[in-house]
Amino acid sequence: MPATENQPSFLGRISIRRNQIIAMDGNHEQELEDLELFQRHIEFKAALIMGRDPSQISKPPLDRLLSDYMERAVKALDICNAVTGGVDSIRECQKLAEIVVSALEQKPIGDGQVKRAKKALSALMSASAIDDKENNHPRYAERTWSFGRRGNNSGGNHKDRTNHGSFRSLSMVVAKNWSAAKQIQAMSSNLAVPRGGESTGLVQPVYIMSNVMVFVMWALVAAIPCQERSGLLTHFQIPKQFGWAHAIIGMQEKIGEEWKKKEKKGSAGLLEEVQRMEKLGQSLIEFADGFQFPAEDEKLEEAAAQVAELAEICQRMEEGLLPLQQQIREVFHRIVRSRREVLDLLDHGKVSQPII
Amino acid sequence: MVMPGCQSMTSTYEGEQHVIAAAQHILKVLGENKSLTDDFRRVLTELDSHLSAMTIITESKRRGFAEVEEQLKCAERKVRRWDSNPSLIWDSGPTEASEYIQAVNEIHTVMETLGGLSMNDHGRPKELAFRAQCVQQIAMSRLEEELYHILVQHKQSFELKNISFPSRVDFVYDESFVSVEDEIINDTSQRDNSGRESNEYTVDLIDPLLIPDIKSIASVMFASGYDREFCEAFIGNRKDALDEHLSNLEIQKLSIDDVLKLEWDALSCEIKKWVWAVKIIIRVYLASEKRFCNQILGDFGSHDSYCFVEISRASIFYLLNFGEAIAMGPYKPEKLFRFLDMYEVLADLHLDMEGLFSEVANAFVMSEFHDLLRRLGDSASATFLNFRNAIALDSSMHPFPRGEIHHLTRYVMNYIKTLTAYCDTLNVLLKDQDVDDPNPVFETDNGQDICTSAFSPMGCHLRSITSALESNLIRRSKLYKDGSLEHIFLMNNIHYMVQKVKGSELRLFFGDEWIRKHNGKLQQHATSYERATWSFVVSLLRDDGRTSLKERCRRFSNAFDDVYKIQTRWCIPDLHLREDLQISTSQKVIPAYRAFLGINSRNGSDKYIKYTSDDMEKMLLDLFAGSSMSLRNSRSNSHKW
Repeated sequence: MPATENQPSFLGRISIRRNQIIAMDGNHEQELEDLELFQRHIEFKAALIMGRDPSQISKPPLDRLLSDYMERAVKALDICNAVTGGVDSIRECQKLAEIVVSALEQKPIGDGQVKRAKKALSALMSASAIDDKENNHPRYAERTWSFGRRGNNSGGNHKDRTNHGSFRSLSMVVAKNWSAAKQIQAMSSNLAVPRGGESTGLVQPVYIMSNVMVFVMWALVAAIPCQERSGLLTHFQIPKQFGWAHAIIGMQEKIGEEWKKKEKKGSAGLLEEVQRMEKLGQSLIEFADGFQFPAEDEKLEEAAAQVAELAEICQRMEEGLLPLQQQIREVFHRIVRSRREVLDLLDHGKVSQPII
Repeated sequence: MVMPGCQSMTSTYEGEQHVIAAAQHILKVLGENKSLTDDFRRVLTELDSHLSAMTIITESKRRGFAEVEEQLKCAERKVRRWDSNPSLIWDSGPTEASEYIQAVNEIHTVMETLGGLSMNDHGRPKELAFRAQCVQQIAMSRLEEELYHILVQHKQSFELKNISFPSRVDFVYDESFVSVEDEIINDTSQRDNSGRESNEYTVDLIDPLLIPDIKSIASVMFASGYDREFCEAFIGNRKDALDEHLSNLEIQKLSIDDVLKLEWDALSCEIKKWVWAVKIIIRVYLASEKRFCNQILGDFGSHDSYCFVEISRASIFYLLNFGEAIAMGPYKPEKLFRFLDMYEVLADLHLDMEGLFSEVANAFVMSEFHDLLRRLGDSASATFLNFRNAIALDSSMHPFPRGEIHHLTRYVMNYIKTLTAYCDTLNVLLKDQDVDDPNPVFETDNGQDICTSAFSPMGCHLRSITSALESNLIRRSKLYKDGSLEHIFLMNNIHYMVQKVKGSELRLFFGDEWIRKHNGKLQQHATSYERATWSFVVSLLRDDGRTSLKERCRRFSNAFDDVYKIQTRWCIPDLHLREDLQISTSQKVIPAYRAFLGINSRNGSDKYIKYTSDDMEKMLLDLFAGSSMSLRNSRSNSHKW
């Protein structure tokens, strides 16, 4: 395995293999430090407001800033759900990859198993190479076609069912016209840097919290397939003068670069495992296309190594994806809780408004 | 000769034959050597007989092998025959289907037999094994497709005649109160509890006649090592079916952002659809899905529960997320009923969920379910408590026209009357909420039911709500400039409250003591009213020794006219209450007036007397009718007191 491929992706680092980085060489210390700093900020709890005079927060400019923050929080919740669906679709890819592994692991490899692998591979590749936009198409249209094709005697189109099933989980979770890219755009668009006079008091912490939230959601969207990501921001303004900004800017630049590469390749996401899976899938398709019995030993060995790597990725996905999904869910619940806390505070801060 | 890891002692039969022939040749050459010991010669003889035996075995294998080859050819023909055939095997009749399954089984047998031979050289068995593998792959792809078509074509829709769902009146807590008219509310306490008793709601999602077919496909695919393919095709198809069923239940995918932006009417409608869908999906659909998975995959280890969870998870999470979105929204009073509907349906489905997702691996789903249940319960009790606060804080700068029943009173009483339908749930939710009960119920009440309900958390909270309402009404009554109207207003409103309590389930929660106490309050206000209005008027008749009879008559008539003019515009909508007050007023005023007339009849007072006592009695019956008898054209002034 080439060393470069061993670079953990951003999300892999925080969610799946956080412990493994520690075991790696010392080059990662800085990143690890950034990570710690970052994780400390992830705490969404509105601790910043606790113990303060509630009437403060219902006055300008804080009232508006907080209501913007709440809007962002709601959008973040939808992103969490969309990304959860994205993890499901990665799991579907994992299941296809497992079929590839179990077909190509057999020794010696014959045409039948190569065909079996090829079928799973083409489903896998069409699932992951799909442009996010296509998820807006209802699957039923394809299914109806598929259903009628034998009965209607429409001819020998024997394309496999699984070829159409691209990322079916995505459509299950979010509204039809929902767009992850637009949500991120909306979350970051009104994120104004506090002016000189506002740099004290509560304006600053609200600004920081909002930045962290936008950043985390943006990173999740970049890492995991979810509905409509085309045109996703690659950069948003974070003023360098803030002490906390360094860690975020550093990560943002790296992720932004990766994302640009991704957009060119049309890959499924920045999650390292997915990228490797796509790459391996591509080479194994080439192997399968060129397969002729008896295969050359050299090619067989090469394929065997790739299959072993794919098996390892599947194993990691098996261990990591569900816990990742649960972590995203935990973030979801934290946002809900902190939003509730802020709302309660706003209620208390208000002069009691008559309802009638 | 023996390869490590090989299952067989021998290589392919051709190879074996060469080796055996060579060995026999060597033995022959060796045997020609005269200088061998007897022992060695014996060993050679034994070896020779071994080799002969092996030749026989290989020969028989060869014959067997030919059979195997024939078997494969035959199966392959059957499989390939369908290759170019556009119709479905399972549509072409049971014979075709079972022949196909048999052919696939034969291929599997061939592969097992060939698997017994070494695959490490390039002989015929290996070639055959590869060929079998190819045919198997074709057959498996085909079976996957057939499976897919069977699942789609034999999907069964179901109707649920047995579960009807309660439809309740919507409350909108707005300033116009138009939506809370009494007549709409009257029958809302009808609750539907059907569905709570029965547990068996499973239906056939797929035509049960097809189950053996699907099972036979599962069997051969599992036996051939294509279990993953089977499960993925099965899951994908069933997931689609569930998604389709959700959209049949009119569940549309909404983001949380969308949900929070919905207008109340649309939101309430979505919630009702959700409550219905959750019940159908969890109690009926998923229970049936689980049974179906078990029917098909029950014989194959844990695959059935794996498939079931994969099929249902995304939809369950979608439904839970909608609940989360609702629980997040503001705690407006009208939402309480929907919160309670949602809470009750989930609480009711708790055991069903336990049954569906009991495996340890699904603890995640169950904990999300419990979290949502708790959050909805919290939202409901928060809304309930907010409601009381809202009543306590509600205020106005203007007195309510004509002293009538305030909209707030109607709203609150109808609201809490509807709440009695949710009393079991509310008792659970309000158990730990402190309440300041202004009218605690003591042991004086009779009857077991009355005691239990009145002592329940719900009873305490309801009394606390009406007490907040009373304080509010007292505050409002102070806005009237005329102290008498203050009492009319309070009488009207308290009377309304008492009637609502007496005429509904609320009676159980308030207790007879509360009713007695409030009837007493009514009496007090009646007395206070009479004192405030009539004591002065009647006092004008009294001879104080300084005022002339003429003057007393004039002052009295003027005062009476004023009262008449003003108080005929006031309104007591309840006829019974109005009459009671008129009679009690007559009893105070008329005897005094008659006495006055009697004393002064001899003084020639007739020319000063404006009304006879009969006139006056009749005029008193015009009071509180809500429309002025003499001032009909000046009603525009009626707001100014």
